[in-house]
This record gives sequence, structure tokens and C-alpha cells, in this order.
Amino acid sequence: MNYGIFPPLASIEAVRPVFMIVMGIFLMVIAWRLSKSTHGWTARMIVAGALLLGFGYAVMLPLYEAGSIERFSPRGHYHGSAASAIAWHSVKLVAMNSGWLLFGLGLAMHAKVFTPTSPRRQTVTSPLAPHESVA
Amino acid sequence: MNLLLEVILKNGLLFDACGVIGLGLLGLAAVKLARRYQSWGGTMMAVGAISLLAARLYLTVSPHFMNDDVLSAIGPIGISLTIALPPLMLTIGLAGIVWGLWGHERWLNEETR
Repeated sequence: MNYGIFPPLASIEAVRPVFMIVMGIFLMVIAWRLSKSTHGWTARMIVAGALLLGFGYAVMLPLYEAGSIERFSPRGHYHGSAASAIAWHSVKLVAMNSGWLLFGLGLAMHAKVFTPTSPRRQTVTSPLAPHESVA
Repeated sequence: MNLLLEVILKNGLLFDACGVIGLGLLGLAAVKLARRYQSWGGTMMAVGAISLLAARLYLTVSPHFMNDDVLSAIGPIGISLTIALPPLMLTIGLAGIVWGLWGHERWLNEETR
């Protein structure tokens, strides 16, 4: 089938970049709203991670899918400029991974994973009376 | 080549590990939110994080064991699954995390209102 120069509009290939752009922007907006209810380093980490991820998902990955950026190849075969492919690959590695790391850390701090909880109360409620004969 | 670029390219596994740790923390936080605060967004986020983790793990590991023997053993359906599933899981994971975050944020707003 011949679709001309445009990919078919309803195909997975055409929808995936749009989906990523929408998700990236949505992630940034929600993280900003979430950060208003927290403060200090938690909010900063959430927003920093969401900004990195938003840049990665809304700008970089659609450019990759559109073919504007050449993919990194371990054997060193490039059609265009090798330097720009390597540079974009390193930017992608750093942005996506540190974005997830910061976002995860911030959310974990928001969920109070690291702060110790109150000591467990010793409420032993045995169903058996203390001296009931079991045998 | 620039020294910084070389370090980044050589330590790709290290950066991947950072991303995996972040996703793991995200999943941990999501499970905690879901269990302690009864926030349904947490469950969604946990599903998304697990899905993203699984796809990422597969993409990292698969070059080390994928060869023609494995491909012929799993047959055409298996091959098409290996092509179709990882992007699908990445998509579902991202959608789950964002949807769960939205739900959690709405829940927080309702709670403090």
C-alpha cells in the first residue's frame, strides 16, 4: 500500500509520538500540581525529574521516532553525522535515567518511604486464652 | 573523542541501573501510597512501574541471549511477540504512571479540601 510521504494517521507509528508528547506534558503539569502540596527537597526532586522526563518524552523520543535524530549504533555505521548521533544518545541516556531516578526518589520521599514509621505497637491478640488446652 | 562522552557511553549500564533504581523507588512509593493511604492512583502507578521495569529489563538483557537458535525455537508467534510486546509494555507503563499520578493528585486535593 502506498501512503505517500505521510504515515497513515491511525497507525501505531503515527500515534505513538503523539501519545508520548501528550504524556510528557501531562506528567510535567501533574508533577507541578503535586509539588504544590509538598515543599523542600521533595518538591524540587519531583519537578526536576518530571522536567527531565517531559523533555525526554515530549521532545526527544518523538524526534527519534520521526527519524530526525539518528540512532546510536554500536558498530559505528551512520548515514549522517556520527558526532550528533553520539551526542544525542548520551543526552538521552542521561536525561531519561536521571529523570526517572529523581522522579522516583522524589515520589518515594513524598510517600515517606525513608522516614521511619512509629514503632510498632505490641498488640498481641491471641485467639486462644492463655491457659486453654489445645491438645 | 571527548572524555565526558566516552565516560557516558562506556557506563551505559550504570545509567540504566540509575533508571531502574528510580523506577523501583517509584514502584515502592506507589505500593506504599496504595496500601497506607488507600489511594487508587498508587495501584495504577505500581502497575505502570512494574510494566516499565519488565520491558526495560527485557530490552537490556535480550541482546545477550537472542540468537537464531532461540528465534527458531519460539516460532513465528514468539518472534512477533518479542517485536510487539516491549513497545506495548513501555506505552502501558508510561500511561499507568501518568494516570496513577493524576489520580493520586486529585485524591490529595480532595483530601485537603
